[in-house]
Amino acid sequence: MTRMERKRLCMGLLFISPWILGFLAFSVYPLLSSLYHSFCDYSVLSPAVWVGAENYSTLFNDDVFWRSVSNTVFFAAVAIPMGMVLSLSLAILLNCKVPFQGLFRTIFFLPSLVPMVCLAVLWQWMLNGDLGLINNSIRPLLNGINQILGTHLVPPNWLQEAAYAKWGLIFTGLWGVGHAVVIYLAGLQGVPQHLYESAEIDGAGFWVKTRHITLPILSPVIYFNTIMGLIGTFQVFAVPYVMTGGGDGPERSLLFMATYLYQNAFDYWNMGYACAIGMVMFLIILSLTYLSTKLSESHVYYEGK
Amino acid sequence: MKQGLKQKISTTAILTILVLAGICFLAPFAWMISTSLKPLSETMSLPPRWLPSKFQWQNYREAITEMGYFWRYASNTIYLCVLTVTGTLMSSSLVAYGFSRIEWKGRDKVFLILLATMMIPFPVTMVPVYSLFRNLQWIGSFKPLWVPSFLAGAFNVFLLRQFFLTLPHDISEAARIDGCNELQIFWKIILPLAKPALLCVALFQFMSTWNDFMGPLIYLNEQKDFTLALGLQSFQSQQGGTPWHYLMAASTLIVLPVLILFFFTQKSFIQGIATTGGKG
Amino acid sequence: MIRYWEKWNGFEADAMRVIVDDFNASQDEIFVEYSSVSQIDRRLMLSIAGGIPPDVAGLWNYVLPVYAENNALTPLNRYTEAAGIKRDDYISVYWDMCTHRDYVWALPSTPSSTALIYNKKLFREAGLDPEQPPRSIAELEAYNEKLMKRDEDGRLITCGHIPAEPGWWNALWGYWFGGELWDGKQSITITSPANTAAYEWVASYPERFGARDLMSFKDGFGNFASPQNPFFTGRVAMVMQGPWIYNFIQNYAPADFEWGVAPFPSVDPERFPNVTVVEADILVIPAGAKHPEEAFVFIQYVNSQAPMEKLCLGQRKFSPLRETSADFFTQHPNPYIREFHDLAQSPNARPVPSTTVWTLYANEMNQAFGRIWTQTSSPTEALSDVQTRMQESFDHRARRWDRMENTLLTEWEKP
Repeated sequence: MTRMERKRLCMGLLFISPWILGFLAFSVYPLLSSLYHSFCDYSVLSPAVWVGAENYSTLFNDDVFWRSVSNTVFFAAVAIPMGMVLSLSLAILLNCKVPFQGLFRTIFFLPSLVPMVCLAVLWQWMLNGDLGLINNSIRPLLNGINQILGTHLVPPNWLQEAAYAKWGLIFTGLWGVGHAVVIYLAGLQGVPQHLYESAEIDGAGFWVKTRHITLPILSPVIYFNTIMGLIGTFQVFAVPYVMTGGGDGPERSLLFMATYLYQNAFDYWNMGYACAIGMVMFLIILSLTYLSTKLSESHVYYEGK
Repeated sequence: MKQGLKQKISTTAILTILVLAGICFLAPFAWMISTSLKPLSETMSLPPRWLPSKFQWQNYREAITEMGYFWRYASNTIYLCVLTVTGTLMSSSLVAYGFSRIEWKGRDKVFLILLATMMIPFPVTMVPVYSLFRNLQWIGSFKPLWVPSFLAGAFNVFLLRQFFLTLPHDISEAARIDGCNELQIFWKIILPLAKPALLCVALFQFMSTWNDFMGPLIYLNEQKDFTLALGLQSFQSQQGGTPWHYLMAASTLIVLPVLILFFFTQKSFIQGIATTGGKG
Repeated sequence: MIRYWEKWNGFEADAMRVIVDDFNASQDEIFVEYSSVSQIDRRLMLSIAGGIPPDVAGLWNYVLPVYAENNALTPLNRYTEAAGIKRDDYISVYWDMCTHRDYVWALPSTPSSTALIYNKKLFREAGLDPEQPPRSIAELEAYNEKLMKRDEDGRLITCGHIPAEPGWWNALWGYWFGGELWDGKQSITITSPANTAAYEWVASYPERFGARDLMSFKDGFGNFASPQNPFFTGRVAMVMQGPWIYNFIQNYAPADFEWGVAPFPSVDPERFPNVTVVEADILVIPAGAKHPEEAFVFIQYVNSQAPMEKLCLGQRKFSPLRETSADFFTQHPNPYIREFHDLAQSPNARPVPSTTVWTLYANEMNQAFGRIWTQTSSPTEALSDVQTRMQESFDHRARRWDRMENTLLTEWEKP
């Protein structure tokens, strides 16, 4: 290593030293502890007994676990793109010169401020089959379609029907895109005005400007929100947990990996098994993030590099 | 003339979309407020009604009393928020700088490790971290709730690192050539340019601490130490039924400060235009 | 000073607070600090793991086995023996649910039992005698036929009884058919003929009334704790509930609501009379508590006749002690408290199975019930799925017990 490289290494490590400390205490130690316990039969309050790969072999054959995996993957596969499109569009719209900009931004951010316990309860009520707001808004539309096409469409009882429960949850999640919108807004401030101006002189319209200027410059932020979305949706737990009262939902349609982990750890006193689930979750999210990073390398444009 | 008309049409179109979307986003919140003003018997009535028959403003006062230590909880929460926001801003910006503005060997690999730490599912870390704090004898105090924020949480580092990367390479290089050391570059050049992002981080951290109830639930023992979010839990009763009107009233009160904070700070994002990319 | 964590809120918490204050006032050595704790099971587990548990905690009887076998509690045998507290002092089911593997782990605080609660006015309107509630399942179904009403579009507007309302004991319907959930030793017996009969009875509801109709009907039910509770609005004429229903009726039902209480009908009232589910809130001393002797003094106080009756009166329940003073019943606001009390003493008063896997079992049965109710699977299929999963889980726990038995027994025998 050259003297320059060594100096830079020292500076770099110095700057990140607070994180290293936290990393050792809150990540390495729990991860190792969890890894060890995933090979044990452990219930938190009695000593852990080594059982080798028993937890993993049970996991592999556990239908309920695979159900939780498919539920989580479905949820992520739908919620992430929908969330991204919605938040990006809102951010771009909110960045335009319209009156009451501040008011609108606050309105869209509002839902992410609502405390968790309230959110779950509120949306449970909104998604109620007969009387919830959602269905009462859709019903006139469906009735209209029924009259025209002679069909018998009925709005579903969202959280009670296996086929629709996750969609109910997805709507709840979309309502909370405020976070992502704010981040995109902050990113949009970093797009140099002069680029837009030169493009306009060349006769570029709204879509062209967005595709060729806004999106590329915003790409690090898009990458950030996508990764965060990935990590977040794969760990979805709190809202469905409160909505189902700690259960699995109709035909286990709301059982996610994190829910199953939590149930095993704290309801069934099977911490070792829960750690095994945790390890699997960790590996899945890790691989997906690695994949996304590899894929994004050609698309993400860092001006500072 | 044609340009002006085109402008007007696009502005109106955008406005319409925003208004429609805004109504969708506001509706649940409006429901929350309407429930907070209803007498208990109307809260879960069928068919649901928007307007309370009489506006029970006293629900707010009663909810505060029901909760017990409302003002105490509020001051505890503010105390924690101030500490965590300070800690986060300080540590996350330093660490993010290290991951973005200095080229050192292995930097990006270590960064991937940082990303990986966010993927460790929460219940799995709960017990080991609890025993760690137990060994430090911090259980029952506020320390487990704010000390970690001084150790740079991965999320904030990630966010700031992405922003720091959007700033041009040359400004750092120029400063180095002029003889500045890294700390000076950090403090005098990079930080001022990243104001919108820093504000973002501060706001998010504030909100996260304000609404956090899992942490206080596990680490705090005495009721007088509780935070507002934890205090809300006291409205949930097992066999007595939840007093929805109080729950909604208390929730509205709890949401209000952050809302106001956001409304006034989001304007600064706009100011950021001049500092980050506006160079012509 | 000792710490006491309890799960209650509202008036139930107030009732216990009064007892705590009485105890503190009655002597100078021990001061009990009462806290209302939410998510008490999580916090208790964590605090025991962290070595700083409270001295007294309030749990539910159905988690006792799993806490005991996972070394979360302090055995109370030496304290109960020294204090002369024995099984005969209690209604036997409540003592039994506090013991596990020959050790006493808890003493009850407030008990409950379940019974058939019915709407007398709806009975009268349907031409049924309001003083003659159904005694057998067959009679129950005959009453259902009379009580059910549909509107012009064929949608259900009133029904007699449906097992899904309130749906709090989905796993236990077998009890009224003479079934058991396990054999008390090694096997899960959910697929026994009696249990299968019970769930075929459950499956008969969607067959007779239409699965979709029942689901839409249930959608329209209001919140349990509100005037729109389907039992109070007359949509459902009969439910199975516990003594607390009195509180809800007082708070939410219309002023002219007439109700009656009777043992819930069983398939054969001669062979299986007075079947009821008994549950209780219990007081335990967590493992590693700093002041177990003082904690027990408090628990003993709560379990003496006068304070216990005061507590149960305050929570509108009955007392788990064998002896109850006559005043208790006359003072008690719930007009049917005697019925609940007597049911708890019936030989067919059943607690949930005292196994360590009860939480999983209940969860699985809820899933199975849901599938049966929506006709997604037949009762036999649903039950046999539960059987397979539960037996596996049960065997796993049995293995765990075998491994830990000696260590645990040594631990529990320590002075």
